[in-house]
Amino acid sequence: MNSRLGAAVLAVVLVAYPFVDQAVGLHTVHAVSDGMIYMLLALGLNIVVGYAGLLDLGYAAFFAIGAYAMGLLNSPVLGSPLYGHAWSFWLCIWVAAAVSALLGLVIGAPTLRVRGDYLAIITLGFGEIIPVAIRNLGDVTIEIGGWRPIERLNLTGGENGVNPVGRPYLPGVPFETDPVPWYFLILIIGAASVWAMTRLRDSRLGRAWMAIREDETAADCTGVNPVSTKLLAFALGASFSGFAGSVYAAKLQAITPGAFEFQVSIMLLCMVVLGGAGSIRGVVLGAMLITVFDRVILSQTTFLVRGIGRTLGVPALVSLDLTLWRWFFFGLGLVLVMLLRPQGLAGRRVQPLAGADVDEAAALDAAPPRVEAIPRWLREQIATGPVAQADALLDVRGLTKAFGGVVALNAVDLVVPRGGIIGLIGPNGAGKTTFFNVVTGLIRPDAGRLTFAGASLVGLRPNAIVARGIARTFQSIRLFQYMTVLDNVLVGEHCRLEARVAGAVLRPPRVRAEEARARERARSLLTFVGLSGKEDELARNLPYGDQRRLEIARALATEPRLLLLDEPTAGMNPRESHTLTDLIGLLRRELSLSILLIEHDMQVVMRISDRITVLDYGTRIAEGTPTEIQRHPRVIEAYLGTGAPQEPVVPGV
Amino acid sequence: MGGHFGAPHFHMTWWEVLVQQTINGLTRGAVFALIALGYTMVYGIIELINFAHGDVFMLGLFISLAWFGLLGVTGTLGGWQLVTVLPLVFVLTMLTTAGLNVAIDRIAYRPLRRSPRLAPLITAIGVSFMLENVALLWKGPAPIAYPDVFPSVDILREWFGIDSAIFLTTKDVLVVVATIPLMIALTYFVRRTRWGKAMRATAQDRETAQAMGIDVERTILVTFLVGGALAGAAGLIQGMYYNIGMWWMGYQAGLRAFTAAVLGGIGSMGGAALGGLVIGFLSAWSDQYISARWTNAIVFSILIIVLVFRPHGLLGERTPDKA
Repeated sequence: MNSRLGAAVLAVVLVAYPFVDQAVGLHTVHAVSDGMIYMLLALGLNIVVGYAGLLDLGYAAFFAIGAYAMGLLNSPVLGSPLYGHAWSFWLCIWVAAAVSALLGLVIGAPTLRVRGDYLAIITLGFGEIIPVAIRNLGDVTIEIGGWRPIERLNLTGGENGVNPVGRPYLPGVPFETDPVPWYFLILIIGAASVWAMTRLRDSRLGRAWMAIREDETAADCTGVNPVSTKLLAFALGASFSGFAGSVYAAKLQAITPGAFEFQVSIMLLCMVVLGGAGSIRGVVLGAMLITVFDRVILSQTTFLVRGIGRTLGVPALVSLDLTLWRWFFFGLGLVLVMLLRPQGLAGRRVQPLAGADVDEAAALDAAPPRVEAIPRWLREQIATGPVAQADALLDVRGLTKAFGGVVALNAVDLVVPRGGIIGLIGPNGAGKTTFFNVVTGLIRPDAGRLTFAGASLVGLRPNAIVARGIARTFQSIRLFQYMTVLDNVLVGEHCRLEARVAGAVLRPPRVRAEEARARERARSLLTFVGLSGKEDELARNLPYGDQRRLEIARALATEPRLLLLDEPTAGMNPRESHTLTDLIGLLRRELSLSILLIEHDMQVVMRISDRITVLDYGTRIAEGTPTEIQRHPRVIEAYLGTGAPQEPVVPGV
Repeated sequence: MGGHFGAPHFHMTWWEVLVQQTINGLTRGAVFALIALGYTMVYGIIELINFAHGDVFMLGLFISLAWFGLLGVTGTLGGWQLVTVLPLVFVLTMLTTAGLNVAIDRIAYRPLRRSPRLAPLITAIGVSFMLENVALLWKGPAPIAYPDVFPSVDILREWFGIDSAIFLTTKDVLVVVATIPLMIALTYFVRRTRWGKAMRATAQDRETAQAMGIDVERTILVTFLVGGALAGAAGLIQGMYYNIGMWWMGYQAGLRAFTAAVLGGIGSMGGAALGGLVIGFLSAWSDQYISARWTNAIVFSILIIVLVFRPHGLLGERTPDKA
């Protein structure tokens, strides 16, 4: 109720403000409208930096493209045959947003493969190229050996920019003379943008962005396509700045290339970082603080200091001009925020990490898994009726992978039958995790066949393999640390959901139902693994054992038919480990889920595996039932070295 | 950084223009190489694009100017001063910028060693803005004249009596002669000394280096020290060569030098030197044959193309991300 009241008060204030301003005679409506344009830009940048975690240092370029799209299409003066027809403002803002988004895609497509800091530099380079291009394209002459096919062509207005730019036309609304209609136009665009961004954030797409930000590899292995997800963030972020740029151009009635330099990108970054990247409220706050600081505090403090200087008779103070220091303060602000409060002013406070020791109380809570707790939907989605054990679900033949001279996998064969539990063991460095990485698509094999349910997996991206029905956990837990427990599981459902941008924003009944069902399913999964009641905690704040179980819940949410578990009981105490073993057994029994298990705890492996494959130096040295493996001479040799006693010494049941 | 110096005369033949611009490119490239080494060393060791590095170079120019002022030098240095005052100013400037670079690391980067990678990059941008504004407030917005401390002699004409349109001066020689010993000293330092070994080990694997008893923080400090000193030397050379300094030149030069480091293969010292020369030549040729106003766009296009299609550069090693 309280937040609703707050929203109502805010709405009344925003609507009443320009009239109060005019009545009192403050004349601040223009300045506030400009501030809101920058706020809109900062919000667009927040999609890229805050949600998707891609540092964009050239965001002002998209602002420029939006502004020039408006300027060039809606100006009568530029004597180019291409444009100068003064299109309608209402058409131009959409064209500007579309052009910006398109350029976001064009820039993004080749660059998103590179690492985070390289991406930042590429965007910076792009941000430098655009103003240079705008300046120089105002006077294009091409000369080829005396022949001039193009002479003094003015494409962009050059250094002088475009002036005038047409204003919007609405019958009876005085956009020419009055700042108030501008205020409301920008307010409406801003409010609609915030509304759309909030809905995007809370959708399947927003969760995918954040998953990529937290851990790109883990997101890929949970069914999120990193490339298309990042591209979408880039394009959407760019489209918001296209809107902002086009309105800015029409409001100022003139644009020059100087308005889109690197400094603008940095000021926007300041707004995002100061308020708290990833928080809409924070970015709004940051934008307000920086605008007020820049436009009001610096100049007013200068007046104040000069006044003090005059009374005290200090000439240094009288001639002081703090507005010259503005970029110094922006720089200082960036440093201080990152050092003192990296999550920003409004960012979520993060508890200090729980100790590495297993929380005893939590361990007691972890109740043994119950058959009734298996979510019904999961049963229906996964179970495909009774199947013959012999039917191979995963069939690996001659899998080979070398890193330089080191052969990590050497012609390995392995079969996982439907509903089987297969153990994969071997000394450290035997190639077990490499095997997982090849099966899940993180590493391309050099040779070998890899068939899942009859279809080859070679060459598929990890997220496509997840969609086929293979899910995994990681040896060192890889959760999306700064997302909630519930959101972690929801990311797992990503590849089974369908909402796209329009659906996520407009939320038709179909999307609403899908999202409600997804949440319902995620909750039931959390209950099943014993994490109910912890849905809203950040994943990083969970105790160790809970994190392991959450990773399994996330994997199950992808509705797998084969589950790859990489040392699931590592670091657990015997009771927890026992509970988890029961859970794995239950999954197989009740859901006929197939499981491939890397495990160092021999008791666990021997107890639950149907068959075991042993790797040593990348080569399969043994395959058989647990009893056979315990007696296998080469296994004993691999584990204990030669000259070991000839009895079965592998610790077993 | 337009070379008002030795700009081609209108009556030059095509090959004289090419030679002249190649000389320009060589001197530019030498300065880029010195700055690029600082980028590449820091990136190699802590994987940070030290955005403020170009501004340390810019401050190096102004600091060297201040040292000349303190030593009472206002005009061209004569005979014995060239072997006493000039080396002294080199040392003083390099010490100052080395200290500045270490201070930047201590204050802005070191507390963030365990933070996500983008956090120190953001503070680096912040520091860059602060340094630029310090220079702006110190020296004012207008370009600052740098005294003609190094004697400029038209070598071809005055020493060899060749009447050529090509303009090769003692300053061009100075740039190369000052850069080469620095490069040799650096190579020796990195290849042969204990600290150099520690740096290379830390760059390869910080944790293992630590386990082997290398004081990693100390090694990082030495890296910033050396990088800052080289940037200071580059600033001094730039000032003596072009006789002008601007508060905004660090950003431009820094981006070109970073491009050079990336082109050569970031983390590779030889690559930084090579990349510096290549960018020097390309920018000089682009000024001449395309148009100076497009040079920036061309340099950045090279940067983008290299990062996307050959991120390990010309000489860098391919380092796959671990899964």
